[in-house]
Amino acid sequence: MTSLLRVEPFSAGFFGYFAAETVLAIGLVLMIVVPNLGRGTFRVPGTQIRLPWFFGGERYSLTGRPSLPGYISVLTLLTALLLLINDLLTTWDHSKQEVLVHAVGDDSVRILAATPFSRLMEALFIGALFLVALASNDRYRSTPAREVRSLGALYNNRRQADLHILLLTCALGMTTVALAENLFVLFVGLELAGFSSYILVAFNKESKFGSEGGMKYFMVGSASSGVGLYGLSLLYLWAGTLQVDALALAWSNIGQEILPYVALGLMLVGFGFKVSAAPFHFAAPDAYAGASSPFAGLLATASKAMGMVGLFRILLVITLPEGSEGSAVWLVLLGVMAAITMTWGNLAALGSKNPKRMLAYSSVAHAGYMMAALTAVGVWNLGEASLDGAAEAASEAVLTALLFHLVVLVAFKMGAFLVIGLLEHEGEVRDDRTLSGLAKRSPLLAVTMFIFMLSLAGVPPLSGFLSKLLVIMGIVKVAAVDVAGSGASVSVFGMDLHWVWSLALLMVLNSAISVFYYLRIGVVMFFDAPAVGRNRPVPSTVFTTIAIGLCLIGTVGFGVWGDPLIEVCRDAAAALLG
Amino acid sequence: MDLISTVLVGLPMVVSLMLLGLLGLMPASLRPQTTSAMRLVTFVISLVLFVVTTAMALGSLGEINWLTIGFNDYVLEFQYPWIESLGVTWHVGLDALSFPMVWLTAFLMPVTQIATWNEKKGAVYHPLLLLMGGTLMGVFVSLDLFMFYIFWELTLIPMFFLILKWGGKERRYAAQKFFIYTFTASVVMLLGLITVYFLQDPALAGDGAGDFTGRSFDLVAMTQVANDVHANGGIFLGKTMQSVLFVMLMLGFLVKLPAAPFHTWLPDAHVQAPTGGSMLLAGVMLKMGAYGMFRIPIALFPHAVETFQFAIMLFGFVSLVYGAIVCLGQTNLKKMVAYSSVSHMGVILLGIASQQPIGYAAALFMMFAHGIISPMLFAVCGAFKHHYHSMEIGAMRGMAKHSPWIATSMMFGWMASLGLPLLAGFVAEFLLLVAYWAAFGWWILGPGLALAITAAYYLWSMQRTIFEGGEDTQPPAGLEGKPIPDLDQSEKVAMLILAVATILFGIFPFLALDMMDAYTQTIFAALFGGA
Repeated sequence: MTSLLRVEPFSAGFFGYFAAETVLAIGLVLMIVVPNLGRGTFRVPGTQIRLPWFFGGERYSLTGRPSLPGYISVLTLLTALLLLINDLLTTWDHSKQEVLVHAVGDDSVRILAATPFSRLMEALFIGALFLVALASNDRYRSTPAREVRSLGALYNNRRQADLHILLLTCALGMTTVALAENLFVLFVGLELAGFSSYILVAFNKESKFGSEGGMKYFMVGSASSGVGLYGLSLLYLWAGTLQVDALALAWSNIGQEILPYVALGLMLVGFGFKVSAAPFHFAAPDAYAGASSPFAGLLATASKAMGMVGLFRILLVITLPEGSEGSAVWLVLLGVMAAITMTWGNLAALGSKNPKRMLAYSSVAHAGYMMAALTAVGVWNLGEASLDGAAEAASEAVLTALLFHLVVLVAFKMGAFLVIGLLEHEGEVRDDRTLSGLAKRSPLLAVTMFIFMLSLAGVPPLSGFLSKLLVIMGIVKVAAVDVAGSGASVSVFGMDLHWVWSLALLMVLNSAISVFYYLRIGVVMFFDAPAVGRNRPVPSTVFTTIAIGLCLIGTVGFGVWGDPLIEVCRDAAAALLG
Repeated sequence: MDLISTVLVGLPMVVSLMLLGLLGLMPASLRPQTTSAMRLVTFVISLVLFVVTTAMALGSLGEINWLTIGFNDYVLEFQYPWIESLGVTWHVGLDALSFPMVWLTAFLMPVTQIATWNEKKGAVYHPLLLLMGGTLMGVFVSLDLFMFYIFWELTLIPMFFLILKWGGKERRYAAQKFFIYTFTASVVMLLGLITVYFLQDPALAGDGAGDFTGRSFDLVAMTQVANDVHANGGIFLGKTMQSVLFVMLMLGFLVKLPAAPFHTWLPDAHVQAPTGGSMLLAGVMLKMGAYGMFRIPIALFPHAVETFQFAIMLFGFVSLVYGAIVCLGQTNLKKMVAYSSVSHMGVILLGIASQQPIGYAAALFMMFAHGIISPMLFAVCGAFKHHYHSMEIGAMRGMAKHSPWIATSMMFGWMASLGLPLLAGFVAEFLLLVAYWAAFGWWILGPGLALAITAAYYLWSMQRTIFEGGEDTQPPAGLEGKPIPDLDQSEKVAMLILAVATILFGIFPFLALDMMDAYTQTIFAALFGGA
């Protein structure tokens, strides 16, 4: 079984336990240093002697290549990803130690913790960023310096390092969120990743939509961060600590106080923005439509998962073991939010002609499904000894489903955005005419896109079906738990089912609505004639093709053979619920 | 050897997916040249399936005696682990309920291809038809609810493309409506299946139970548990829950069947679908609904069947009468045939509602007979459209004079469908009327009159196309001054095959009816304690 290992920051073995982050940090340094290596010299003051110091000046032919940052970031992220997958697979047979980082000299002050849960989330973040890095090598393609003919190519060469540095800082911030055992550390990670993503959204500065989307995303994002931070400070005012386990302890002895509840509500706003839950989702469609598609994919997958991690920490770890009422205090609030989010997202997606906006709203709807699952976790209070194992098992099942959904979402949501990213090479994607006739232009690409759409809609045997099925099954399982004397159950069709069952029903109905707009993409691709100017085969690009291929393998593979991933998610869920 | 997984399901699906992948990788300019090769490969595979299933039927393969298979008893049964944490297995098997449907699918696949041999559809069409056949096979052999649902939804995808790519003018609307309508009903069914799954007693789930959920999707084990409960005088899951789940599951199946008022996707899909798609859609895909009813809700919730007997009767009767009356008013030949399917599917529901073994047998035989006759009707419609470029009844008149083949096929098909004695349709209708008399007495006048309307619309449309007019009639637009075409060779062959099958099962119904009859006897003994 797992054992807890305590280490101090930067002590012996620390870098081994956090190998992925170390690799990311090294990659970041390399990214700054390597492209600057050149024949730079340093004049000794007062003399004419110039000493070479290999920095700046005329670059070497190897280090001056504009494609170098892209390779560094892809390799860095790939190495980190493989290290994490290795960790996960060993976690799978329960032989992996959990690592806890505490303050120097005081092991009650927790900073970071590496558990199966955080490893899974790290792998998710880095995997998503790896796909983005691969695709952005094509999206912002570098050109060998001699062949630069246009202003656009020059721009792209100049911003290679910026782009990939931002991707790596984003990765570092996200992994910090996954590892954080302290809300302050979590917030720092959240902001690091958040600011990187604000810039990435606005990165497409040639397009006025890019700047507009980036600006909106930044404004709303910083406002919601501010609100969340205020909630955090109120929580600190109340408990005197921001450490997760200490807060959980404080919450379990909560009395008739208003302060922590206000803090909880304010923090929900902050994280609600990150997962694009209604009513904090208004910036999302503009941001997704304005950003380059790979970055929009990043927002829809990794960034959303990061928000979910924050919600897990606050809702499941801190506030769940509270009182003896049986269910979490936020249960009704979150359930209503989930219902509104999924319905709103789906109805808005129905009317979106722009495929990127459609995917943005579908991402809002998926946030609703995730929050419905989260609501179901809160139905039974795990801290109470009076409940039998059934409630605990049900909560674990639904959390497993949620984690599985987050992971496979990276495959098909990102995949869909990457396909649109390929089309962006030919010009902006503003409406679904850009997709029309794709089947005649590039049949394999069209079939791949259709598979992603079907997976988003939840058609078997794709992973989107399995994840939706797992979530619905989890909610039904939670609702069917029979706990004597629980006042929360209501009679549904003469059966004692908890009201969260209605969230499963709503999810099913929403899935049915969503088929309409996902299918429309398929119809447009296979039925309509190609738009004017878009009638040649889509130019094939190596990196994006590899990334889309990986997404396709994930979409089909995890659907047909989802067992290993379910096991990994299950370990992660068990680790989070403790 | 696991013939079902390898040959019946694996072979068509793997081959068709490989062919589709091959076509996708091929440069677009080369694709049209491969059409005849694709057609040949898929035809050979369909023939293999037909030979294998026929050998199974005759007992020479697997040495199966189809007359002795009892309720919840399967032959050629194989089970492999699939998603162990959820208790999902790859579980296949055949019984007297599923085998006629499997044989029908294997029979119709080559016939469909023969009937549309000369239609210029392009290379992708043939592998899609094969994929369609493979997924249909998968539905009928699944004995695991998860697997069943997967194949159930997978059938939508090839059909969606068949309609979308090769359909009529309104194909875009029809394909989307078809997909969304049936998918919506299926997800409600899925929620019902999941609820059944979780309401099982984990202690009784057996070996296949998932280590994660403690329950299993295995339909055989589930049916066994339900049956044991009922045998001891209890009610599986309680009376109220049975009713709720029965309604949720039946919703999915009624839409697929389709029963009025859930039938509106069918005329659109049928009228727009290409002939091959229509033949498989009417021949096999509609039967998925009826098959599912027998396989899941009736087998698990017999008490709910009794509770809802009147409602099922009402659905059946409304479908029968409404379908027939709408047929009377149709001017579009294919739409008329589509509505006649709605009407005939009502007969299946009436058979279930009668709650007689003979009524169940009538329903099963109706599924089978309609599966042979309706493809012939759609083949006739397809040939009509193919040669006369119109679907309007009366666009071409006096066919008896100038196009004897198409006129004869049409007349034969129409007569079989309206229930002429010695043809397959008659057996089912006769059995149904017997069961209906036994169950409801003089109310038999209802379906009796409705069947008379059936005769009316068929005869009327025949009069307007085959007999009226002659040389003096104006040919439809596009055919002026040209010789009036008749069926071509491949269409003739397909019509002959279908006609022979119709006559064969009309004169010797016991070829299929015996196994259905034996099966329904055991169903009744198990579910309702004997007739």
